[in-house]
Amino acid sequence: MNLILRAQVATAAHDIVPSWPVESFIAVNPLAGHEPRPFETAATPGVILTRSRDSYLADADRGRIVDADLEAALVERVPELAGQLTIGGKSVSALSVAILDLKTTQWNSPAAAEPSALWLDEYLASWVSSYLNPDPLWAMPHKQHGFYRAWRTLARRDPALPRTARRTVVELPVEPDAALAWALVKLGVPAEAVMQTLRTELQHLPGWVGHIKWRAEKIGDIDLLSYLGVRLTLQAILGLTGLPSPRGVVGADETPSALWHRAEHVARSIGGSRADRDDIAAVSRVLATHPVPDHALTWQKAYELHYLATLVDTLRDTDPFTLRPQLQLVMCIDPRSEGMRRHVEVLPGLETFGFAGFFGVPVRFSRYKARGAINSLPALLTARHHLTEHPTHPATAEDHIMRGRTRDALRRSTHRADSGTVTPFAFAEVSGWLYGAISVLRTLAPTMQARIHQFLTPATATLPSDVTVAEAFTLDERAAMAETAVRMMGITQFAPLVVLAGHASESMNNLYQSALDCGACGGNPGAANARASAAIFNDPAVRALLAARGIDIPPDSFFIAAEHNTVTDAVTLLDQHLIPQSHVDAADTFDRAQHTAAKMLLRERAQDLPGASPHSPARVQGRAHDWAEVYPELGLAGNAAMIIGPRQMTRGVNLDRRVFLHSYQTELDLDGAALETIMTAPLIVAQWINHQYYFSALNPATLGAGTKTIHNAVGTIGVLAGHAGDLRRGLPWQSVGLGDQLLHEPMRLTVIIQAPLGSIGRIVSGNQVLRNLLDNDWITLTARTDPAAPWHRYTPYGWTTTPTALKGTRP
Amino acid sequence: MNNLTQMTRLEVVVPARDAPAIRELITSAGATGYTSVSGVSGIGHHGQHSGALLFNEYDTLTMLITVLPPANAGELIDAVQQLLSTSSGVMFVSDTYVSRPDYFQ
Repeated sequence: MNLILRAQVATAAHDIVPSWPVESFIAVNPLAGHEPRPFETAATPGVILTRSRDSYLADADRGRIVDADLEAALVERVPELAGQLTIGGKSVSALSVAILDLKTTQWNSPAAAEPSALWLDEYLASWVSSYLNPDPLWAMPHKQHGFYRAWRTLARRDPALPRTARRTVVELPVEPDAALAWALVKLGVPAEAVMQTLRTELQHLPGWVGHIKWRAEKIGDIDLLSYLGVRLTLQAILGLTGLPSPRGVVGADETPSALWHRAEHVARSIGGSRADRDDIAAVSRVLATHPVPDHALTWQKAYELHYLATLVDTLRDTDPFTLRPQLQLVMCIDPRSEGMRRHVEVLPGLETFGFAGFFGVPVRFSRYKARGAINSLPALLTARHHLTEHPTHPATAEDHIMRGRTRDALRRSTHRADSGTVTPFAFAEVSGWLYGAISVLRTLAPTMQARIHQFLTPATATLPSDVTVAEAFTLDERAAMAETAVRMMGITQFAPLVVLAGHASESMNNLYQSALDCGACGGNPGAANARASAAIFNDPAVRALLAARGIDIPPDSFFIAAEHNTVTDAVTLLDQHLIPQSHVDAADTFDRAQHTAAKMLLRERAQDLPGASPHSPARVQGRAHDWAEVYPELGLAGNAAMIIGPRQMTRGVNLDRRVFLHSYQTELDLDGAALETIMTAPLIVAQWINHQYYFSALNPATLGAGTKTIHNAVGTIGVLAGHAGDLRRGLPWQSVGLGDQLLHEPMRLTVIIQAPLGSIGRIVSGNQVLRNLLDNDWITLTARTDPAAPWHRYTPYGWTTTPTALKGTRP
Repeated sequence: MNNLTQMTRLEVVVPARDAPAIRELITSAGATGYTSVSGVSGIGHHGQHSGALLFNEYDTLTMLITVLPPANAGELIDAVQQLLSTSSGVMFVSDTYVSRPDYFQ
């Protein structure tokens, strides 16, 4: 074992962000490795951090960015820009000089680069793909020996390699670290250049490299050492030295304007012909503090501050519920829940809350006697508790399971026949008429086809059952989870019916289905967690322990799970067999309220959804079953902010489904423990999602997955664009854009908190992840102690009162 | 010393996300085991670390402790040093004594 070389590989791979498989898509910041450093230093060749100058100027023309925003952005980014100047006899502020420069100085807009495709990359991608494909037509021999050793054994017969290379492969070292060391020597890489060489090599095929890093930690069937072992030995035996670095360097300022020229232009614009050399020199001293390469980030900051100011202006201080609410609905913090909450709150006596969609119950869940399980918990946690179901009527369940297994066997047989070498011809002859008819129906009447399918193949989900939460967690653990949820949300009184609604998306033929499910549930539907949470709250033993801790849940309060379908906007009550007779009317009332809210929300969403009409909500719902639809819903496109505070701040405000809403009441969290949990978990998940959308929108070719229309699946691992090449990372273009226009406004997450500034400051000080994100400008934080207090902005040097843009009026 | 055998003890404190790489080095070095303590708190070069978080194991600190014969420790120490050269974390190396040396060979 060459430990030093192993450490060097690990060091070279340190900043590479693990890439989850697409079957449980986890939104991540693709540049998370740069978070310990300032945001503006994260630009790497081929990766851009901001939009084009033209798009910012267009925003300025339509009032999306106003001078007050530019002024506030400059104050924040260039504090030394202060004071007045006299130009051509006119007194002007340094800030207005800098703003004029921002608007007039040309800079080359950064451009997102297309990924490169070297022969070596194509070759390695096909080997890695064959090795990792979980459902190949032919399984790769020797897989059990690891990637490097399997390749070494098979490559000697690989016709893609020259004959001499194949002969050399036989003589290569058996172990990957020995092979890598041999290759580095053979390539003439000096010891001091090893790290840089490894880093450069890991920049190629970033999609596969990120996935291998994830796999090495979670599954262990491949690691970056064996990948580099193959890559470097290939280069050594083929004599491929001095490979170009992937992606050409694209500078943000390829044609820099001379400082004096900029100053002269600005001075003449202000003072006309009366501006003399002294005036130009004075202007140049001002402009020197804000060089042209910084302009893009100042525009971006202004763009974000405008949104913040608009958002803060809309916040309210409505009255809390003083009387006991009749219904309470707890939904995920996901911005899509905001629309449903706003519309359903039209019903008097209905109160809503926002909480992480896994409801504080982290589980690995499998359906009754089902194969496989899902990790229904945030990616920040490790699954330690297994949850499953007990059918209410075991005899019916067994019958159901038998029918399901028969269907499964039939499905597998047809798949085998369909994917064999010779059988597809005969299979098509025999069954083509049936599949042809189904395809026609599915294309022309997708909703009808879905209904028929549902009728013929009822899912296990329809079986009345209980979740095994009492077996998965001890009583103390269950009580602790319930207490944590209540304190984090700040619930002070409980309605007779409390609905805990997880969410899931529904679409056909969509490899990115998981990206539309619940992020807090690891890219899975949140129903299992909602059911588990409801079972915990309904448990009399848990309630007794909660009462001892000062949380009294009235005996007539009943908790019921539900699932919000984010394509159809239906909120379906789950486990309805558990609803006591006394609560049936309340459940009916909720059902009617959600039905009305769904209709309103569908019309609202149809205004943004490509190709949809507010007049045909049924067609929007029909997208759930349309196998040709690339926009089943817009997911979290537009997400821009997170508000942590009581619903009184936002009740009745249209936040356009752009804001993560986490309920919080300072009064129920005297030691700040709940706030720390919110800031170190839901906030982090929101930030991962926000940055995933941000960078997928700006870099669709390198950090996004590109258009769905040419995607091909590699099992359940990920997608390729076309038939070969790198595994695509990030979100598809259809999640962030339409045509050549962005649907998503790329803005870094704006966090707004209503809580004592001292508590927030203490939490930030104690957590490096928050310090990194805030001090390095990856996210921003605005807070106030209570509704009567002024807003403050977090800076690395302490709290400051809000910048001018927040105080000004805007169009 | 009381029929004890001298060994080398390594304690490494790193962000949880970097712990898999350290664990991999420890096992590659031939150590027969290690102890992992998640959610450790304290104050260090990068400031304060509050310790275990309720819903986030990813952004906390982990302490890994291993014991191995002095002859095997040198390369592991160099490797961990290499790993910590560009990322945050600390390593403490000390002599220790064990009663059952065969457990650590």
